[in-house]
Amino acid sequence: MFYRESGQLKSSYVADQAMFPIAQDRWFVFGVLALAFLVAPFFINEYWANAILLPFLVYALAALGLNILTGYCGQVSLGTGAFMAVGAYASFKLVGFFPEVNFLIVLALSGVVTAAVGMIFGLPSLRIKGFYLAVATLAAQFFLIWVFNKVGWFYDYNLTGMITVRPIDFFGVRITGPEATPAAKYLFTLTVVCILALSAKNIVRGRIGREWMAIRDMDIAAELIGIRPLRAKLSAFAVSSFYIGVAGALYFSIYLGAVEPVEAFDINQSFYVLFIIIIGGLGSVLGVFLGSAFIVLIPILLKNIMVGGMGFDSGMAGHVEILLMGMLIIFFLIVEPHGLARLWQIAKEKLRLWPFPH
Amino acid sequence: MTNEQTNETLLEVDAISLSFGGVHALVDVSFDIRKGEVRSIIGPNGAGKSSMLNVINGFYHPQEGTITYQGQARKRMRPHDAAAGGIARTFQNIALFKGMSTLDNIMTGRNTHMSKSLFWQALRIGPAQREEIEHREFVEHVIDFLEIQSIRKTPVGRLPYGLQKRVELGRALAAEPSLLLLDEPMAGMNLEEKEDMSRFILETNDEFGTTIALIEHDMGVVMDISDRVVVLDYGRKIAEGTPEEVRTNQSVIDAYLGVSHD
Repeated sequence: MFYRESGQLKSSYVADQAMFPIAQDRWFVFGVLALAFLVAPFFINEYWANAILLPFLVYALAALGLNILTGYCGQVSLGTGAFMAVGAYASFKLVGFFPEVNFLIVLALSGVVTAAVGMIFGLPSLRIKGFYLAVATLAAQFFLIWVFNKVGWFYDYNLTGMITVRPIDFFGVRITGPEATPAAKYLFTLTVVCILALSAKNIVRGRIGREWMAIRDMDIAAELIGIRPLRAKLSAFAVSSFYIGVAGALYFSIYLGAVEPVEAFDINQSFYVLFIIIIGGLGSVLGVFLGSAFIVLIPILLKNIMVGGMGFDSGMAGHVEILLMGMLIIFFLIVEPHGLARLWQIAKEKLRLWPFPH
Repeated sequence: MTNEQTNETLLEVDAISLSFGGVHALVDVSFDIRKGEVRSIIGPNGAGKSSMLNVINGFYHPQEGTITYQGQARKRMRPHDAAAGGIARTFQNIALFKGMSTLDNIMTGRNTHMSKSLFWQALRIGPAQREEIEHREFVEHVIDFLEIQSIRKTPVGRLPYGLQKRVELGRALAAEPSLLLLDEPMAGMNLEEKEDMSRFILETNDEFGTTIALIEHDMGVVMDISDRVVVLDYGRKIAEGTPEEVRTNQSVIDAYLGVSHD
């Protein structure tokens, strides 16, 4: 009834190629953004920022990076955790060298460093595919974490082996460490994530995105119509690693504040991000946010229900939560293997006809 | 048959030999393709027709012989160089990008004409936006030409076989090729679809002056639409000439019908 696209005629290619060609979608997205930017900062508190919104945004960004590589270009990677670590350590060292430089530039440079590392570990993709490539990227996971743990230069020869974020001001507002307000941390992260998500959407619906998808769907045909596999795959690794690197830098600098490589960036992180894109939907920018919300929010919801509502003790609740989470993931994959993004699409198609489905 | 056929040679295949281990796929094959003609390559199964196309667009590298394309001889060439040089092709088994829409598939064919960098594409303003619109316009011409307006936004995996073949032709046409290689464009089609496809091939040749090299098993179609035919059997060229000449050639009849050796 409210979601009708009849009568919305497009008279130019610009309108037809718009990101949200349907007016209702456009208003919905504007609404969500207005809520996120204008309303949420006034109500945010320490708990909401640290337990829900920051992890949601950071994981969505990391998943966006992995989705570019896996969902759009078809190259499986299990090195996400390590690439996040590269971004985190790069931002740590860069802030150490150039404390005066704007943090946005530091983030971008951390992304560039990660992109370079990602391209090196992406080189095997030119020869190997699928599971074998996944195993090759595991090398990145183990090797890089080992390096960060072993080479003192990376953690400034700190005795604990940890890195702790330095106080950073962004245009006079503190955004890192305990003195930063939750609203400042949240708004900064939200802005970075929104800009990068918009760029990702633009890239995947342009020439380079089509090249990636062509390689994913049929690499030989792609090569025969003039796409260079080398360039397409390495650019996917580079862009993907850039996003994951920025996510890692945010994860360390703003969300956690202090990390220890073996704990924070281990292989579980890689799987965690992989789950997000599988549950959210491979090859979908929206899916990344849905998947991240699912993975971050459902455990909190389950815990609240079990501890608050049913009176479990928290240890027991923790175990049951892992169990239920696993079952939910399997359930969702059976019901909709294309992820939450596809469910969302189906819901929209139903809504177009509602309430008269014939 | 075609309006602007000249005697200028577009592509010359000279003494090509290709073998995989001990299997000789092509043995000393030579022929030429003239600018503006429809050139058919026919032969029984396993005659080396598809291998020939794969050699022409650089997917296989022949052990011997040279290929001269637009006056330039080449020994080894990568497929993307061939594509950049204006050789486009379709495949025997449809090789579309299943997860993408018809429009995106055909847009992919324009990739060799697009150049804006990642940075501009991420912003999608100014040059990148203009480039996208400009090529979209061209792709819409191709879509109109092939009469597939209604499936513009449909993922190609959901389309019926005949339409998929048509989209594949569209993707090749979008590249504005000077030489179009068609590998069995009518395989598995019914009469009506074959007629449509023949019409598109002839119109492509007529309107855009595209040179076409075609592999096809339907002799009726081959004889009707081609200017010249080359016949392969067991990797060797056994005949060449106009459809009329080939039809009456004894070794072609033998190759197709078999010959008694007593």
